Amino acid sequence: MKTTRILAALAAAGVAASLAACSGAGGGTAGQAAQHSDTLAVGTMTVAQSLDPTQASGSALPYYQAVYDTLILRKADGTFAPMLATAWTYDATSTKLSLTLRSGVTFSDGTAFDATAVKKNLEAFAKGGGGSATQLASLKTVKVTDPTHVVVELKQPDPALLFSLSDAAGLMASPAKIGSKDLATNPDGTGPYTLDTGKTAIGSKYVYARKADYWGDKAPYTTLSISSFDNENAIVNGLKTGQLNTAVLQTVDQQIAAEADTKLTQQKFEFDFQGILLFDRVGAVNKALADPRVRQAINDGIDRDALLQGLRQGRGTATSQIWGTDTPGYDKALDDAYPYDPDKAKQLLADAGYADGFTLTLPAMAGITTDAMTSALTTQLAKVGITLKWDQLDGATALQKIFRDRAYAGMVMNLGQSSNAWNLVQTAILPGTFNPFGYTDDTVKSLSAKLLTDDESATATDAGALNKHVVEDAWFAPFYRMTYTLVTDPTVTATTQSGMAVPSIYDYQPAS
Amino acid sequence: MLTFLARRLGAGILLLLVISLLTFVLLSIPHADVGRALLGQSAPQAAVDAKNASLGLDRSVLAQYGDWLSHAVRGDLGRSWFTGEDVWSALGTRLPVTLSLVVGVTLVTAVLSLLLGVWAAVRGGLVDRCVQVLSVVGYALPGFLVTLVVVLVFAVRLGWFPAIGYIPFTQSVSGWLSTITLPVAALSVGAVAGVAQQVRGSVLDVLQRDFVRTLRARGLPPGRVLFRHVVRNASAPALTVLGLQFVGLLGGAVLVEQIFGLPGIGSMTVQYTTRGDVPVIMGLVMVSVAGVVVVNLLVDVLVGVLNPKARVA
Repeated sequence: MKTTRILAALAAAGVAASLAACSGAGGGTAGQAAQHSDTLAVGTMTVAQSLDPTQASGSALPYYQAVYDTLILRKADGTFAPMLATAWTYDATSTKLSLTLRSGVTFSDGTAFDATAVKKNLEAFAKGGGGSATQLASLKTVKVTDPTHVVVELKQPDPALLFSLSDAAGLMASPAKIGSKDLATNPDGTGPYTLDTGKTAIGSKYVYARKADYWGDKAPYTTLSISSFDNENAIVNGLKTGQLNTAVLQTVDQQIAAEADTKLTQQKFEFDFQGILLFDRVGAVNKALADPRVRQAINDGIDRDALLQGLRQGRGTATSQIWGTDTPGYDKALDDAYPYDPDKAKQLLADAGYADGFTLTLPAMAGITTDAMTSALTTQLAKVGITLKWDQLDGATALQKIFRDRAYAGMVMNLGQSSNAWNLVQTAILPGTFNPFGYTDDTVKSLSAKLLTDDESATATDAGALNKHVVEDAWFAPFYRMTYTLVTDPTVTATTQSGMAVPSIYDYQPAS
Repeated sequence: MLTFLARRLGAGILLLLVISLLTFVLLSIPHADVGRALLGQSAPQAAVDAKNASLGLDRSVLAQYGDWLSHAVRGDLGRSWFTGEDVWSALGTRLPVTLSLVVGVTLVTAVLSLLLGVWAAVRGGLVDRCVQVLSVVGYALPGFLVTLVVVLVFAVRLGWFPAIGYIPFTQSVSGWLSTITLPVAALSVGAVAGVAQQVRGSVLDVLQRDFVRTLRARGLPPGRVLFRHVVRNASAPALTVLGLQFVGLLGGAVLVEQIFGLPGIGSMTVQYTTRGDVPVIMGLVMVSVAGVVVVNLLVDVLVGVLNPKARVA
């Protein structure tokens, strides 16, 4: 009997302890809610790498923006405004960009921001070997005129330069720290916040504290935190419990889960398109793809609406063009350039000499293709006589086989649709990463050459012509633009950033 | 005892060496394109090749391993290729999270499974059957399902605990407790179920031994027989299972850490392995192996303390 009593007493103690734990936690949650107005907690699936700006890439920009200012500010609508540079002008040849710099700005370590700092940063970025180093591939030299004036000289015109200076290439770090390993985890810029290294867990949660003596408008939050997750389920749970104030959701299931919570506000926007990049247009791996009629047949044989419904529950817009709605040269009519027409596809294949069809082998990569997608595409294209074969590969091996070994004629890909036409042309059209076989033609050559020196209205015209050409010549087989949602809780209002998958840190304001 | 400890320690160091070499070789086999992972999918191939060369990936595996080892023996585990963070400091921020979980679960498991196991063995009948059924159910339920339900009910619906994140012990004790309670609870379900069965079995086994009958016949109080003699004799197998659980939890924590968004070494292992961040993975493997060696040693010593028969010279 004594045993029973001891056991009962122990059990009671256990219950009491767990109750105490519960009440303690309750207090903690209430405390967090009270801080909301001056704290912004952002959840994201993007992992920050080194915080050294030479290693920065566009998708992880918010991590850098908190600490580093860019030379030029890119506003939510994609237009440019002064930031560390107060004015800029091109010369007649579009190869010399003169920048007037803000004076009286200092980095966190006390070093003054001046023309020499700009020169050091731009040169370090161009040579830094980072993921976005190509943004300054055309940089020839940076000439310091006086402490507040520099001239950026280019080897050839770069229509994306202003964009780049409002992006990774424009991030300014203290010249005293450039080249030091310390910058990776201990960033030093002129930005509105400093990294709170004590509260930061590098690689998973970055906590930033507002800088008291920021040169510009005071940041709206005393504390900004950006936490990265490897699944959106955790992000949605965080949004529902108020531990996160905002996040962008990409997967349909989690978008629906967040919509179930009426406290949360959703803003829909489109940034990535998904589709097949048919890059073997020279016929090196798959002879058939060299014939435009075959590539058109693939486009005609894909039932985009069915894919969009089946894979994303209709959340997106079916399209035949890789230009996004914010990209100059976008043409709404081209979204329907290839309405589903299996008969026409068969005819085109027959005309091209493939009446009996042909086999196309593509890599199936975790994170991009799903089983549902590969089986839907295989079934749809089988109807027109094209046999799709999928090589199951892990991500790293696949990228190596695609880009280094050039072993595939195409791949399914999600590509961002920049608000800068030249960025998109450089990434997807001109010989390079996504044109690994280096295919081009006279129309592409002449239009892309014109784009180099075009002004704003000419850019829209020529980019539009280029867009139309690659759609008609079927360089790609896009499926749809995917709808993402920017979710915010009642404490914050946020604006989507044109041509970017996530808002800039300047796009958040406390809700009044 | 000292020679035994020295021998085990020596074996542990040898194990560290062998596993470090094995891990290094295994990591080099898939040829994860680290440069590509670092620079992104749209980077030119030439830049990717240059990045790989700058990391020394163009050298032979053995040369790379020799380089790593010569630094590692001096306590320098290098810097993460991705974040540029010192590996020791990366482990320093992540390890406490997983240790909080694993130690928490082990303590909860030890106490609860001892109570349940002993209770079931001594009382028998309905209590025993209830404990057994609960154990089977607890053991059979998939860990991720338990975790998802626990988050949904106690964090999202009831709002008693935070759904994500971790507050270090040094920052706030109550915050720390609130952030680890649910993960510990979720992980404990399966662990308690497994160990309770083990305790119940061992206690039943010991209860039927002759010496227990003799002790009872001499008129010793039942509580004293149970706790001084039966439980002590029955604890060795339970401790061994608990030790194994501890080691297994280092792996089991991965899922729970992902669901709760905890920055522990479980989620870290997944994240850094997919990217091929060799310095960090090597650091993680070394720390995990050292942990396993130490825990096994502790279990051996504890079993020896509890049961003189198991002691070695």
